Amino acid sequence: MDSDYGYSSEEDSYEAMGSEGDSFDFDSQAEMETHAKKIPYVVYDEEQLRERQQDAVNAVAGVLSISDAEVVRVLRQFKWDANRLNEEWFNDEESVRRKVGLLEDAPVASTSGKATCQICFDDFDLKNMRAARCKHYFCKPCWRGYISNAISSGPSVLSLRCPLPDCTAAVPQSVVKEVVSEADVKRYDTYAMRSFVEDNRQLTWCPSPGCENAVESRAEVGTDPMDIVCKCGATFCFQCKEEAHRPVDCDTVGKWILKNSAESENLNWILAHTKQCPKCRRPIEKNQGCMHMTCSQCRYEFCWLCQGDWKEHGERTGGFYACNRYEVAKKKGDYDEEAQKREQAKNALERYMHYYQRWAENDKSRVAALKAMKNVIEQKLELLSELTATPTSQLKFLPDAWAQVVDCRRILKWTYAYGYYRFGEQALGRNGAAVPADTLKQQQEFFEFNQGQAEYFLEKLHGMAEKDANQFLDQSVPADGWGKFRETLIGLTDVTRNHFDKLVQELEKGIDTMLHAYGGDMDTDELEGPSAPAPAAGKKKAARPSKKARAISNKGTSSSGAAAGVEGDSDGENGAGGSDWGFWQCHTCTYVNQDPRRHMCEVCDTPRTQK
Amino acid sequence: MASKRIQKELQDLQRDPPTSCSAGPAGDDLFHWQATIMGPGDSPYSGGVFFVMIHFPPDYPFKPPKVQFQTKVYHPNVNSQGSICLDILKEQWSPALTISKVLLSICSLLTDPNPDDPLVPEIAHIYKTDRQRYEETAREWTRKYAMG
Repeated sequence: MDSDYGYSSEEDSYEAMGSEGDSFDFDSQAEMETHAKKIPYVVYDEEQLRERQQDAVNAVAGVLSISDAEVVRVLRQFKWDANRLNEEWFNDEESVRRKVGLLEDAPVASTSGKATCQICFDDFDLKNMRAARCKHYFCKPCWRGYISNAISSGPSVLSLRCPLPDCTAAVPQSVVKEVVSEADVKRYDTYAMRSFVEDNRQLTWCPSPGCENAVESRAEVGTDPMDIVCKCGATFCFQCKEEAHRPVDCDTVGKWILKNSAESENLNWILAHTKQCPKCRRPIEKNQGCMHMTCSQCRYEFCWLCQGDWKEHGERTGGFYACNRYEVAKKKGDYDEEAQKREQAKNALERYMHYYQRWAENDKSRVAALKAMKNVIEQKLELLSELTATPTSQLKFLPDAWAQVVDCRRILKWTYAYGYYRFGEQALGRNGAAVPADTLKQQQEFFEFNQGQAEYFLEKLHGMAEKDANQFLDQSVPADGWGKFRETLIGLTDVTRNHFDKLVQELEKGIDTMLHAYGGDMDTDELEGPSAPAPAAGKKKAARPSKKARAISNKGTSSSGAAAGVEGDSDGENGAGGSDWGFWQCHTCTYVNQDPRRHMCEVCDTPRTQK
Repeated sequence: MASKRIQKELQDLQRDPPTSCSAGPAGDDLFHWQATIMGPGDSPYSGGVFFVMIHFPPDYPFKPPKVQFQTKVYHPNVNSQGSICLDILKEQWSPALTISKVLLSICSLLTDPNPDDPLVPEIAHIYKTDRQRYEETAREWTRKYAMG
């Protein structure tokens, strides 16, 4: 019981949630959606990004005492890793300088007089010529041609060297800015800015079309997926730039997206649901009726079961409606390979459809919730504020709840992709080894239970944020219940958030670890809450089925959790959210009570079995 | 810019011609030159005269000239179309390089092939494994295509 996967902790209590006092910026949707994120990151718009880059440059310029433009060059060489740069610079400054072309100034004979430009071979006054630290002078028009040409060939212009063959001196930014056109300077700056983001492991662009924000991770970037919410509202993974998808890893997401778009699923469908006409070979889908088929194309009549000529069917083959030949062959186990293949494809397809539908439904729901949230913020809050005589600043909890719904929908959605791959035929454990079938089954059951739980909380939260709030809007319930509603919703948001956070964290650790934390064997009776209410145990939504029940039905958990949630019933006919594990959720305030022996909610003192 | 610079190069070549090559406009078009390279004495191309076609791009010298052999050459870095695999004609080009320097580089490429970055892997293989056979074939080709 005392595992680290409990749903409740001290923070769950209302006292700890001082959210109502916080200032609330209605425009900042990103802020609201970041609840579940554990990885610190910062979103910059163009202006802020410029400042951030300047900060990075300043920090280094102060230490190395070289010009800003030169710092940019050096940092770029070191992928904007200031620590590594400092280390190498102070270890061997000469070599770093050589690498980036920041040589010590070459001695100059004179700065007056004439010299020949080594590009156009004309003579110029030295004061009309420019040179890098190497003091190889070229005329300004030639510099312009050289640099413009380099700018048009891409970001490599940022490490442009002196035009003289084999000279490695870096072309100073001052020369670039002096000689080329304004448009080219702009492009040059854009390259520099892009380099700051693209060459830098800690930064990335928001992949949303038209969004020019950049995101910096404040944590060390490894290979684990990182959910990011951009200021533009897009959620994406820092690593793979797909939509945010914790707790699922980037590889699985890639596979899943590919699978969803793959034409192969169409083929699978045709294979699973159609047979070819034995005569003309056109695929036929049988959507109703008896086994007596007439091909719509070639009018050939045949039996759907054995695909034999219908003329041969009659009394002696067992009647027109039951083809015994097929049954007999099937019993003997020698019905044709094609049928077997069809069967397999059908099973695989059904399995995929199961996960895909739930994945897609949750996505649809997420999009709808996002819309609803905007609607609430833009239109309903004012009205609610009037109706309930509460300042809008005190209504933050409602958009908060919606933001949580959006967040959870996304997480839940990805757990289906996780489930599809994790419990497939060739399921692999965390260490890449094949998982034995019974362990896998146990893990799947456990996963689906947790998924079901999550679904249950989410459906409840969703229903409450939507339906219950609307009741206040259309004034079908008295406004004096508002205070209670508010408290309940805040609590529920918090509980749901905690639950999903935990789910994400635990799934990332791996389901084996998660299961192990429970003592490995789920069948241990000690795990059952000692005082789980007897009447609830059998039909409890999302609750773990008893040992016997589980032996009969292994699949029930997730779907029953979903079903219970869809009803959205906050009436809690059987002690909503209770669990065999001992803790139980109060159906009035939704607080998750840890002590199974308590008959009253710790927070609101509502009796356990009563509404 | 381009034509002025090409003109200057032409003057330079005429005033101070390099020892083993010559170059100049093929016709009226200043951007289209023809050059000749004498096979270096210490190479199997010795005694041959190799014709080379040069095209200047409009943004010369900021973009490299296109240089191609017109005479067939048996060489790991020259293919049957006459294309030459030479770094200074590609990413190592510098506007401070000239045609005369390019031709000199091609001369030294004839003397010292670069079999590790070959354009014709078969010839490079022979060059590395059976130097004698390579030299014989190169001499043979020179006799056949680059003399008389």
